[in-house]
Amino acid sequence: METLLAVENLKTYFFTRDGVVKAVDGVSFSLERGQTLGVVGESGSGKSVTAMSIMRLIKGPQGRVVEGSIHFKGQDVLAMDDEAVRDLRGNRIAMIFQDPMTSLNPVFRVGDQIAESLRVHKGLSKAEAFERAVELLKLVGIPKAEARARDYPHQFSGGMRQRAMIAMALACDPDILIADEPTTALDVTIQAQILELMIELQERTGSAIIMITHDLGVVADMADNVLVMYAGKPVEFGTADEVFYSPLHPYTWGLLDSLPRHDVSEKGELVPIVGQPPSLIDVPPGCAFHPRCPYAREICRTQVPQFRAIEGDHGSACHFSTDPSFRRGTASRTEVTA
Amino acid sequence: MTDKHIHDPLAEEGHPVKDFRTGVPATPPTEDVPASAIASRSSRTLWGDAWRRLRKNKLAMAGLIWAIIMILVALSADLWVPQRFGDPKYIDTTTVSQRMLLPPSAAHPFGTDRMGRDIFARVVYGSRISLAVGVIAVAIEVVIGLILGAIAAYYGKLWDSVIMRIADVFLAFPYILFAIALIAVMGKGFMNVFIAIGILGWPSIARVFRGSILSVKENEYVDAARALGASDLRIMTRHIMPNAIAPIIVYATMSIGGAILTEAALSFLGMGVQPPTPSWGLMLSDARAFMFTAPWVMIYPGFAILTTVLAFVLLGDGLRDALDVKMKD
Repeated sequence: METLLAVENLKTYFFTRDGVVKAVDGVSFSLERGQTLGVVGESGSGKSVTAMSIMRLIKGPQGRVVEGSIHFKGQDVLAMDDEAVRDLRGNRIAMIFQDPMTSLNPVFRVGDQIAESLRVHKGLSKAEAFERAVELLKLVGIPKAEARARDYPHQFSGGMRQRAMIAMALACDPDILIADEPTTALDVTIQAQILELMIELQERTGSAIIMITHDLGVVADMADNVLVMYAGKPVEFGTADEVFYSPLHPYTWGLLDSLPRHDVSEKGELVPIVGQPPSLIDVPPGCAFHPRCPYAREICRTQVPQFRAIEGDHGSACHFSTDPSFRRGTASRTEVTA
Repeated sequence: MTDKHIHDPLAEEGHPVKDFRTGVPATPPTEDVPASAIASRSSRTLWGDAWRRLRKNKLAMAGLIWAIIMILVALSADLWVPQRFGDPKYIDTTTVSQRMLLPPSAAHPFGTDRMGRDIFARVVYGSRISLAVGVIAVAIEVVIGLILGAIAAYYGKLWDSVIMRIADVFLAFPYILFAIALIAVMGKGFMNVFIAIGILGWPSIARVFRGSILSVKENEYVDAARALGASDLRIMTRHIMPNAIAPIIVYATMSIGGAILTEAALSFLGMGVQPPTPSWGLMLSDARAFMFTAPWVMIYPGFAILTTVLAFVLLGDGLRDALDVKMKD
């Protein structure tokens, strides 16, 4: 397998008036061709900033990648000049944004917008690019694509716009597709359709996908590997099966407990994670999750846990993950402080 | 006041019923949308669509047609007006007493003024001043306003503060008073009126444009374009400008009316165009003494100001609707 993307100890900080926001604080992962990586976490856990860092879209001067490395096919992304970065964006790595309602420029016809990246990157003529845009719209399942390509975004429904966004992202046949909460703004039935479409297109194009979401259900269907993030740090990494069936970190347990399931009916009630994600300026000492962790002990308040692999690549950043008895359902609770 | 006209695109006559799923006309095109228009859909641009929407707005079209008539008359005046109605400036001192303040007649459709000059000829030549003021003064304010507004929005920080505070200072002065003061410093004259109005008008344009850019810049589609690898220049010209410029077009069109009014006011006060050059404001000023004895001396230039300003305001109002893609039928 060819490693497309290697992110090593990435730290992206924002230097604001109120202090340093450690939005991404030591994230590492690698992505191979045709693979799907699910990045999961609550709002503000650093998922999107990780994606933006890979695309070099972090806006200075406040935001900066302060440490770590990002390599795309062996090339150092952080050292690229502007021209190389522009070639990377859209052409090699494409992004699908969260809100299809606002991610399309309202004054351009949908077809012209899809055509834009083809004109930028492939140097196609206006007519050629438009023709290709129509094909792409067909590919993502827009009926009457020739006519719809000439419509404005406001004439599209939410699901159609997201399809159009996917068409835009696929235009240049990118190696990696970063989908930043691609289904959050859509209703559930459309969500399923869009995910299905992405799976289908991945099979066809063989591109790798980074699926950013706060919804574990979304990654369950799609992801090969799952990275769980909390307060800018990776707390668990493993294959989808490992993370879903033998999760190591109490935060992952919390996420799974708060997920509605149709096969577990004994309790009927969802268990939310208490409290709020911490402010990234003032991250709690020790393990950032300890104020919300029902299993927190003294060491959690004082020492930052290191990320340790437990079995193969499956690992977590919890002091107790090496303890085989400290597992979901068996670990003994302590008092919740938050 | 101009907001009273609310344009409802769905209320338009001949609006084709659409299939709600596909958005294509479900009924055969009516006479309003000929088959050729459907066929040529591909060639339509944003501006083409705006024009199509504008065409449906009767008031805006009336304004546009009136503005075009005014411009054509002003441009062609030398070819037919003096020959038929007499010189707009020349005063024949020997015959003034017989020719002054004649009521409208076949020979003088708008009557004559107290110097025996044909009022129609003076109104026509006055339109040259008014339209020139409208176009040149607004061009000056738009150029200054766009540049400073763009600088303030793009560079932000200190640039933004300095430019916007200067704009505030300009806006804090009473408008006409400031114009009079500027002309008093620069000297009376045709060009100085343009410059004074242009200098006074830029802060509003700069403000509108700055706000417009700032709001457009935050849109996700700008990030999306960046994520697609578009260059800064491309993002600026293709994504930010087209979305930010519509309010400026509308504002500038309406400003033409405002500039015409300001010129008239300045001329009325004797600070604008100087006699014997005909200007509508100046004509009104001259007519004050005969308001009751020879009302035509006042009515026609007043009517000219009213209709011309109204034409541009209506056109601007129509453009606001037409340039809003979301109002598309």
